[in-house]
Amino acid sequence: MSNVDTSKNNAFLIDMTKCTGCRGCQVACKQWNQLEAEETEFFSGEGYQNPPAMSEYTFTRIKFRDYQKNGQNEFAFYKEMCMHCNEPACASVCPVGAFQKTEEGPVIYKADRCIGCRFCMIACPFGVPKYEWSKGLPLVKKCTGCHSRIKEGLEPACATACPTAISYGPRDEMIKLAEQRLARYPDRYINKVYGKEEAGGTTVIYLTSLPFDELGFKAVTLRPLPGYTWQALRLVPGIFLSVGGGLSAFSWITHRRERLKREQQALQNEQDSAEPKEEKE
Amino acid sequence: MTAVRVIASEIKGFHWFIKFMMLLVGIGVVASLLRFVYGLGATTNMNDTYPWGLWISFDVVTAVPLAAGAFTLGAIVHCFGIKKLEPLVRPAIVTGFLGYSLVSIGLLLDLGQPHRGWHVFRYWNVHSPMFEVSMCVAAYTTVLFLEFLSPVCERFGLHLPLRLLRWIEMPLVVAAAAISTLHQSTLGTFFLIAVDKLHNLWYNPLLPLLFWVSAICTGMCIIIIEASACHKWMGQPNEGVLLRTLAKILPWTLGAYIAIRLYSLFVLSDGPFFDNPLLTLSFFLELVVGFILPFIMFTQKSVRDNDRRRVIAACLVVFGLVLNRFNVSMFGMMDPNQIYYPSLIESLVTIGIIAGHILFFVLIARYFPIFEHHPETVDYSLPDSFQKHDGGDKGTKVTEAGRTVKAS
Repeated sequence: MSNVDTSKNNAFLIDMTKCTGCRGCQVACKQWNQLEAEETEFFSGEGYQNPPAMSEYTFTRIKFRDYQKNGQNEFAFYKEMCMHCNEPACASVCPVGAFQKTEEGPVIYKADRCIGCRFCMIACPFGVPKYEWSKGLPLVKKCTGCHSRIKEGLEPACATACPTAISYGPRDEMIKLAEQRLARYPDRYINKVYGKEEAGGTTVIYLTSLPFDELGFKAVTLRPLPGYTWQALRLVPGIFLSVGGGLSAFSWITHRRERLKREQQALQNEQDSAEPKEEKE
Repeated sequence: MTAVRVIASEIKGFHWFIKFMMLLVGIGVVASLLRFVYGLGATTNMNDTYPWGLWISFDVVTAVPLAAGAFTLGAIVHCFGIKKLEPLVRPAIVTGFLGYSLVSIGLLLDLGQPHRGWHVFRYWNVHSPMFEVSMCVAAYTTVLFLEFLSPVCERFGLHLPLRLLRWIEMPLVVAAAAISTLHQSTLGTFFLIAVDKLHNLWYNPLLPLLFWVSAICTGMCIIIIEASACHKWMGQPNEGVLLRTLAKILPWTLGAYIAIRLYSLFVLSDGPFFDNPLLTLSFFLELVVGFILPFIMFTQKSVRDNDRRRVIAACLVVFGLVLNRFNVSMFGMMDPNQIYYPSLIESLVTIGIIAGHILFFVLIARYFPIFEHHPETVDYSLPDSFQKHDGGDKGTKVTEAGRTVKAS
């Protein structure tokens, strides 16, 4: 799958210690992508987050987490969005190739190809693709990485709107920046750059002060996901030929054996019928 | 009008059970129309946490191995030369053809954009297991259709197509086995991508192989059940002697399955395995009751030779397979905070599909010669490269019992 050159990928560096939870990114995303508002209730999910989950109308949102620090109530935030994997599972499982990893970084979705099988939703380790459950002929919806903006030299809508936490630029530079911060303030961060290796590397990279699993990050394999299915699928032509060839050979042998048997029987019969004649002579 | 009247009087003569099946199919059709009018979200219990529900778990992932009898038996009879099982082949092909047609219908209902189903043939993605399965299901349904044409041509006394079909019979049998091997196993590949979602009891890299071997076991068991049911309820002769032969093969395939299953669990999987009591129960039900128990039963001569016990053992295997596919595609992927169960409409559609299978099988058996197959009465004077015929009486042939049709 990795026939796209990912070296020039742009990446989001999201430093959750700098996030104030203003949700400007959520609003900017809705505006740029012209997504409908959702009717939600406050506290419908866990804590202060709203809407309760990403959906066909919400491509990104801030997750809130309450915790106690030195006897004080504190908030931690986590911006949920498409991780734009270097080797995306959604692109590998899609039967019609409706997902594509672009050289600029975002994984884009070609709605005109989609047949709506929802395999991408099963495959995505981060639970990102969402479905238009309200429609009769639904399509998949997910964060576009603002591919249209990036191609014109702009930054993604959420990164533009964010006053503090999101840096956007070439992926290797963003990783370098993240590691510099970890080295400079080792007591401020958990010593991990999430997204550097997760699912084979993503172009959304996180730094936080709280353990990632507590924030609601999913435990994700470090191996690129397409490899899991490809290790079986790559055997398909070989299996097809060996099963087909093997069975053909086998049936040729059984049929030949039968034919020989039949011929021998016929010969036998001939001899049997010939013998009495000899007696007559 | 007369045609309508003929059909109406024909239907009036049916057994109440067939009429009941027709009712279920009708309800299923209405329910599936509702899906298009009101959308998937309103009519099903699927959501962003459960993008795949009953329709994928049963109508596709379970129904495909249940229809595996056709390719298994075809290979056993024609490739491995156990010719005496030939009388079982045609009913198995009809079951397979119906099964795959209904899989296609179920898949189309489940798609968000069914009118774009053909995109699979236009935009290839060879890295996608779904692409592989769609191609194989399309190809195999075609193969089964061609194989199913034989009784149809016999019914209408069409000799030329019959000879052609007979000529390509062997290639079709080999193609059926090869294509089936691919997509039966690739259904297992589907879930290899769900690496952090599927429970450890079921996630292992050998899923494709396990899916294939269990499909072969189930294919044979379905044939046992089907032949016994046809004997009991459709007045067909008892094929017990033939089923005994099948039952002799089963301990080997079941044993292979259990061995691979245990190997994949103990060697290739990482724990924790028994952290969820319900899944643990489901796992033991599946493996012990669904595979190990029938394996032990089929090793006993007293079970293989007894019609009743043999069917019970076969039913256990089918139970084990259905539970296994649900464990992999539904139960093992459950989110503990949110439980999925099928909605009324989802259930009605699936019940309609099962009823449709039974209904069409009975109707086809009523109007086409699928049990009274006499290869020796068909004129095969066209190229016969496999030397299969040993010269029957040319010119006439028997279609349905007792009815003789003049050759054109």
